[in-house]
Amino acid sequence: MNRKLQMLLVEDSEADARLILEVMKDQNVAVDISVVRDGEEAMSYLYKQNGYEKVSRPDLIVLDLNMPKKDGREVLAELKANLDLRSIPVLILTTSNSDEDIVKSYKLQASCYVTKPMDLDKFSDIVKSMDQFWFANVRFPHRR
Amino acid sequence: MNFEGHSGIHKLTEEGLRLVIEAAPSGMIMVDQRGKIALVNSLVEQLFGYTRKELVGQSIDILVPNSVRPKHAEHRAEFFKNPNTRAMGSGRDLYGQRKDGTKLPVEIGLNPLETGGERFVLASIVDISERRLAEALLQEKLLELQRSNDDLQQFAYVCSHDLQEPLRVISNYTQLLAKRYSGKVLDETADEFLEFTVDASKRMQGLINDLLTYSRVQTKGQELTEIDCKSVVEDALANLKVAIDECGAKIDLGTLPRVKGDNPQLIQVFQNLISNAIKFKSDQSPVVSIDCKEEGNYWLFEVRDNGIGFDLKYAERVFVIFQRLHSREVFPGSGIGLAVCKKIIERHGGRIWVETAPGKGAAFYFTMPKLRSYGGES
Repeated sequence: MNRKLQMLLVEDSEADARLILEVMKDQNVAVDISVVRDGEEAMSYLYKQNGYEKVSRPDLIVLDLNMPKKDGREVLAELKANLDLRSIPVLILTTSNSDEDIVKSYKLQASCYVTKPMDLDKFSDIVKSMDQFWFANVRFPHRR
Repeated sequence: MNFEGHSGIHKLTEEGLRLVIEAAPSGMIMVDQRGKIALVNSLVEQLFGYTRKELVGQSIDILVPNSVRPKHAEHRAEFFKNPNTRAMGSGRDLYGQRKDGTKLPVEIGLNPLETGGERFVLASIVDISERRLAEALLQEKLLELQRSNDDLQQFAYVCSHDLQEPLRVISNYTQLLAKRYSGKVLDETADEFLEFTVDASKRMQGLINDLLTYSRVQTKGQELTEIDCKSVVEDALANLKVAIDECGAKIDLGTLPRVKGDNPQLIQVFQNLISNAIKFKSDQSPVVSIDCKEEGNYWLFEVRDNGIGFDLKYAERVFVIFQRLHSREVFPGSGIGLAVCKKIIERHGGRIWVETAPGKGAAFYFTMPKLRSYGGES
């Protein structure tokens, strides 16, 4: 099967979500991206409920931490406690620089933790390395 | 008057006693072993609002607040078992009760004495309501100050933290705009405008980061533990290795003591001072000497350089946040380093200052309290 990688972006800031999409577009990253705007919506998406019945399971989740309703920490804890969903790698992409958040995210089995940079070039570098590592070389479960 | 010492109890004639008590500058009450008032002076009348007649022969309990009366008899009995001169209820807040029922904060000294073959206790009573009031006011002011200080810290932290969000969006999108459209859709002037915007937002980001660093000295400071200043300086030098190697700076390190400190913060102090010493170098290759000597209860640290120095009239200003003596083009930086040093040193109970002159290098001094348990030895 040669379908594109499915990435779920959980990001409450429209500007940040768009920026990620724009930078990916600039770099011709070949991934199907779905965007949800808070933790509750992310869980609906993953459980295929509330209008998300027909979506496919994401191969990778990019998760912001500070969000309204259910925040990223809760989403991470909930999905890593779920036998079916826990195998999906989760990349934390957040403004938070706090050691607490970093430690907590890894304890909750996040695959990596990246702080949103101020500089566009650095942002491009992050997307580029995501592309080269996650999208080009990494093998995912549930993909044949 | 006839004073005669006997097993800690004073003896004197009754008339002499009466005169001494009357002339005393504080309220005096003489009480017998059963707790009956034998003698009072006129100050007691003023303090408690009773006349002498109303008091003499009465139980001392009428001057004791209701709540402590039951205990008072016990204390009195104990005092007569082991009579000695002492302060009453040390460490406790003592109150007397006036005739009108109001309470009076007091300090009471107890003296055993013997007269006419009978044992008494002579209590000297000082009204401390004014002192109490002053203490309470001071306490209130202190709390107020603490609160406003905490608020300010919190304000600076929240401000700098939350300001970063929209700024990051501005910065990223102006950069995206420039990247995609400059030289294509936009003309030269527009490109220039964009450049200014990108520069300014990067600079603002720097300032916010600095403000955050500055406010974190208090909000994120670690507990002070005993540390070796030598290893602190070595860590600072390791962090500056590239800069030191690049300019060929010579670092002279004297003997440094152990102090009680926040390790990362003290590394920061030395790092800022040493990097300034290198940054503001003169034509000569930089020599930085780091030393320390004893001064009373403090250690006096010195970080001296042979750099360009500056006019001593700026000696205060260099420690103020975002104050710079040179344009950003000549010496980059936001003017945070020394302000952070000052805040850290003050958090450690020391102070920091500079001695310098243009072309004569600069010597930064700071003090740190000595370790008590080590008797000030290194």
